[in-house]
Amino acid sequence: MIAKGLVSAFWLELVYCAAILVLISRSRKGLKVPTVYKVPGLDAMDEAIGRSTEMGRPVFYSPGIGDLQNAQTLASFTTLGYVARQCAKYDTGLIVANRISVVYPITEEIVKQAYATEGKPDSFVPDNVRFFSEDQFAYAAACVGVMHREHPAASILIGGFWAESLIFAEVGSQVGAIQIAGTANTHQIPFFVAACDYCLMGEEIYAAGAYLSKDPVLLGALIGQDWGKMVSVAMIVVGAILATVSPKANWLLTMLKQ
Amino acid sequence: MRKEGPVAVGFIVGLVVIIVTYFSAKPLVAIKGELDQWYLIATAFAVAVGLVNLVQIHMRKIQHKREGWGYSIVLIAGIAGFLLFGLTVSSAGDPKFQWMYNTTIVPMNATMYSILVFYIASAAYRAFRIRTGEAAVLLVAAVIVMLGRVTIGEMISPMLPKWTSWIMNVPNTAGMRAITIGATLGGISQALRVLIGIERGHLGGVE
Repeated sequence: MIAKGLVSAFWLELVYCAAILVLISRSRKGLKVPTVYKVPGLDAMDEAIGRSTEMGRPVFYSPGIGDLQNAQTLASFTTLGYVARQCAKYDTGLIVANRISVVYPITEEIVKQAYATEGKPDSFVPDNVRFFSEDQFAYAAACVGVMHREHPAASILIGGFWAESLIFAEVGSQVGAIQIAGTANTHQIPFFVAACDYCLMGEEIYAAGAYLSKDPVLLGALIGQDWGKMVSVAMIVVGAILATVSPKANWLLTMLKQ
Repeated sequence: MRKEGPVAVGFIVGLVVIIVTYFSAKPLVAIKGELDQWYLIATAFAVAVGLVNLVQIHMRKIQHKREGWGYSIVLIAGIAGFLLFGLTVSSAGDPKFQWMYNTTIVPMNATMYSILVFYIASAAYRAFRIRTGEAAVLLVAAVIVMLGRVTIGEMISPMLPKWTSWIMNVPNTAGMRAITIGATLGGISQALRVLIGIERGHLGGVE
C-alpha cells in the first residue's frame, strides 16, 4: 500500500506530526509553553531596524531564491511580516528583493498589510518591493547594485540561499550594513557564519515565527520539534552502539530503509 | 472568511500532495498532475506581474532621471529586445535565440559566479583573524584542509591529505548532519503549521 522505501518514513512522520498536533492542542488549552532559548540573530532584528532608523537608511530584505514549494521561503514570510511591521512602526524604509515571480506578489502583500496593521497604509512604497529576475546571478547582481546604490544600514537574508549567499553577505559587509542571515542549506551556512554579524542555522529559521510572535500555540509546536530531535539522537546512539558491537547486525538500518 | 477559505484550500491540496507521495493511488496521482499544471500556469502569470513591476520601477527611474538611470535604459532595451525577438523572429530553441543567450546571459552569469573567488578570499580573511579560541580552531582546521587539498600539501607532509579527509568526514559531516536533521524536523513542523493554518505568513498578512 505505502510506496516501497517510504514505509518507515511514513510512520515516523505520522507519529511526529501527531505529537506536534497534540502539543499545539495542549497550548491552545492554555497549558504551560516552553521557554525558548535565546536566538541572538532573532533578538538582533530590532537592533538592526533601530540602527537603520537612526541612520535614516533602509533595511534590505531578501527571502532567498527558493520558490513557494520551499519551506524556507514560507518561513521567511513570517520573518518578513515582523520586519515590515517594525519598519512601518518606525518609518524606516524597507527594500524587499524578490527572485521568484510567484513569491513577489506575496511579499508585496505582506509588506502592504504590515503598513496597514500599523495604521500607516500611505507610508507603503510599492517600488520598494521589487522583482528582479528569475535568473540566479542576474538577481544577485541586482541585489548587489541595490546595496551599493541605496546603502542599507541593515541586511536581512532569511530563506533558501545557494551560490549567491556569499556575494550578498560580502557586499552587505562592504556597505557597512548590520547583517542577519539564516538558511537551512548546510553548504551556505559557513559563508553566512564567516561574513554576517548574526546567523540563524537550519531549524532556527523555522522557529522564527514562534519566537518573534511569542504566540503560545506556535511555541507549543516547537516542543514537538525538540521531541523529534531527541528521538533522532536516540536512534543515532542506538545505531552507533549496534554498528560498534556487531557491524553485521544492521537490522535498524534495514528497518529504516523499508 | 478572507483567510479561512485559502487555508481550507491549502489544507486539502497539501493533503492530496502528501498522500500521493506515500500512496500512489491512481486518481490522486492524476489530481496531483493537474495541480502541478495549475501551479505552472500561476507561475507563468506571476512572471508577467513581476515583469510589469520591473518595467514600472525602471521607467519611473528614467522619467525622473534618478541615479543610474542610464542602466535602466539598458535593462528596458534588453527586456524588449529578448521579448520581441523571442515572440516574433525566433523561439527559445532557435540557434539565433541561443546565440543571443550564449553571448549575453551566459558570460554575465559566469562573471558574477567568478567574482565569488574574491569574496571567498575576503570573507576567509575576516573569519580567520584570531580573536577567540573558536576562531583559532577554525584557522588551524582551514589551513590543514586548504593544504591537504593541493599537491604542495602532500609535499609538506603526507599526513596533511589524511588529516583533511578526517576533518571533512568526521567533525564536518557530523555537524552538517546535525543541522540537516534539525532543519528537516523544523521544515516538517513548518509545513504542518502552514497546512493547518496556524502560521499564515504566506497568505499575505502579518501573524
